Amino acid sequence: MEETYEFTKEDLDEIEAIKAKFPEVMPATLPTLWVAQRRFGHVEPPVQRLVAETLGLPESHVHGVATFYTQYYKERKGKYVLDVCTTTSCQLCGGYKMLHYLEDKLGIKAGETTEDGLFSIQSVECLGACGYAPMMQITNDVYVNNLTEEKLDKVIDSLKDGKMPEFESVGMPLLENINNK
Amino acid sequence: MPEIFIDGKRYEFEEGEDRGLLQFILDNGKEVPFFCYHPSMSAPANCRQCYVKVGTPVKNRETGEYELDENGEREIRWFPKMQTSCTTQMQDGMVVHTQETSEEVARAQKDTMELILINHPLDCPICDQAGECPLQIQTYKYGPEGSRFEVKKQHKPKRIQLGPRVTLDAERCINCTRCVRFTDEISESHQLTIVARGDKNYPMAAPGREFDDPYSMNTVDICPVGALTSTDFRFKARVWEMNQTPSIDITNGKGTNIDLWTRDNLVMRITPRFNGEVNDHWMPDAGRDAYQRFNENRLSRPAIKLDGDNQSKTSWNNAIETFAETLESHGPEDVLVVGSPHASVEENYALMKVFNLWGVNNFKFAPHIEEGTGDGFLITDDQAPNTSGVKLLGYEESNDLASEVKNTKIVIMLSDELIDRGVLSKDDLKGKFSILLSTNECDTAKTADLVIPVTCIAEHAASYVNVEGRIQRSFPAKETKYTNRSLDLEMNQGRLDRFGTNFDNWVTEENKVDCAPAWEIMNQLANRMGLDVSFGRGREIMEEIAGSNPAFENVSYERMDNEMGINLNPSNKQEATA
Ligand code: SF4
Ligand code: SF4
Ligand code: FES
Ligand code: FES
Repeated sequence: MEETYEFTKEDLDEIEAIKAKFPEVMPATLPTLWVAQRRFGHVEPPVQRLVAETLGLPESHVHGVATFYTQYYKERKGKYVLDVCTTTSCQLCGGYKMLHYLEDKLGIKAGETTEDGLFSIQSVECLGACGYAPMMQITNDVYVNNLTEEKLDKVIDSLKDGKMPEFESVGMPLLENINNK
Repeated sequence: MPEIFIDGKRYEFEEGEDRGLLQFILDNGKEVPFFCYHPSMSAPANCRQCYVKVGTPVKNRETGEYELDENGEREIRWFPKMQTSCTTQMQDGMVVHTQETSEEVARAQKDTMELILINHPLDCPICDQAGECPLQIQTYKYGPEGSRFEVKKQHKPKRIQLGPRVTLDAERCINCTRCVRFTDEISESHQLTIVARGDKNYPMAAPGREFDDPYSMNTVDICPVGALTSTDFRFKARVWEMNQTPSIDITNGKGTNIDLWTRDNLVMRITPRFNGEVNDHWMPDAGRDAYQRFNENRLSRPAIKLDGDNQSKTSWNNAIETFAETLESHGPEDVLVVGSPHASVEENYALMKVFNLWGVNNFKFAPHIEEGTGDGFLITDDQAPNTSGVKLLGYEESNDLASEVKNTKIVIMLSDELIDRGVLSKDDLKGKFSILLSTNECDTAKTADLVIPVTCIAEHAASYVNVEGRIQRSFPAKETKYTNRSLDLEMNQGRLDRFGTNFDNWVTEENKVDCAPAWEIMNQLANRMGLDVSFGRGREIMEEIAGSNPAFENVSYERMDNEMGINLNPSNKQEATA
């Protein structure tokens, strides 16, 4: 039997508020999928269907939107989803090396989840932090920049302890510093 | 009138004209390659193939006059980038260069095509679309000679059953979204979407859902590549082996315009034919299955019941002789003629005329309506293609044919499976002499005492009047034992027809059915019975009808061909559109 999903009263209120922001229902698809993912931890097909029903939109449309973005989990993921960027800048600075290091360390391949359900790895496209390459993002949240193997070891350890890494602020290099070099 | 200059030639267009530049170019007999644009749907401009160079004349702000350059020519301000002509709105004085007059445009189109082809499998030799593939054709005409893409192509799923009738090869898809837009804008089932993104995307139904839209196969027609294929027709015939013959959908009363595609006298597939007044570019899936009726279970050679309930085949002479003797041993008052909404105007007319002359005045027909099956688009409650036609000829509508049959001795039925569709029962015909002129094996044919095989719509030129009162006609697509493509000017000849001989293994005599048009059978019967009537071909019969029945005034095959059908009932039309 397929699990059934239902939004809570608060979710529905929030969805109504989202809908009110747009002249049409369609643009509410993205934020409503977020509400769903936050509630259920994923947007598997039955959840996509719930979103479609709630918004009165075609199921196919919601499915198309959900599959467009890696940030929506179309299947259950581990507690921590490690999105390692492998687009150009990160790739040149060792993105794949970082990805493969993580894969070996956790014993899974990109796209898979560890047996204890703690970690999933995904290889993703540019996250817009090319200046800090190579980088990754954890569960659509904190960015971890300038990755090295040691840094990954530390991050994994702290995640195992249930601690998300701190947000690292990386300042823009000052113009005069660049000119002086 | 506003003017536009395309490749140095001046054209005029209507003020407020809202067809895009691409459509205007096409309508003027010129060409720009394109994939995603479709005249009946919105234009998302996502294939980027229809690039042209566009500029507008510079006007002096004060005087409103055109600025001129040193040669006295209008100064043109070019759009900084190439424009997709499908979404470009025309403006007065606009100057356009297509690939014909601009190297730059030709180059842009070539490069776009190279990108589109990067992950394309190019398996034309085994692709159903080959021969009618916009991608293939336009690549030949405008594409690059080769590809500079040297790494492995992206692979995607193949042979996906999107639904009961449509199979997807995702690798061939160029993501034009025509299929998705069709389900959003035309059939409004919203069943398709594009999933994933970048080089991994392709169309799909929602998980666990089937693409079972009653119009699903139109996406196969409009898919500009071989990504969407008909599950039924896949791998059955190459396009260039077939003949294409215009015809009318007979599976309901809409009169959808179609093409019959034949090879070796078998109808291989049915596709819609554009008629803006009737079906636009579309047809329901159900109508495409009709080809099986044209090929299979055909009545071939007359059959007669000799002992008890056993029918046996007989000669045409014997069939006509039995027909005539049966009539002569009774009087006209003993005869009921059942016309058919499933048969053409000409067939119904020929029957009525001959029996009327002999003195019969009992002409009935049973409408074939199934309430609630229509959808207000191209599927009607009426299950027959010519209900209006039989009515206009003067057959009387009967909702209780069984009791009509009771009071008569001879029942003559035209192409209507009356027992199969529950209008009559076998018992109703007991003790009567029943004669059926029909196309396919069925219970009705099994019950009849004399069965005479007649041509189906795929074998004759004849007319049908749709639910809105529009008369349209068919062309013969398939030869019978007695017709010949090379002699019949209404018939098309494909390559195989032209060059095949009876000694080749691609010509099969068995595919020709031993049947004749109902009017020819009436000719023979009338001749045998000494009645002064004879019919020519469908075209001449229609002239005769037009001259004698005011409802068909001025109707002719020529006009039907030129005007894509004629509305017999203009007031009806206004109501329909109002
Ligand atoms: S879709 Fe067209 S170009 Fe592609 S393989 Fe088929 S015929 Fe060839
Ligand atoms: S399947 Fe065909 S119609 Fe649909 S998006 Fe792909 S190329 Fe276009
Ligand atoms: S390339 Fe990795 S963040 Fe942009
Ligand atoms: S036809 Fe114009 S962009 Fe596709």
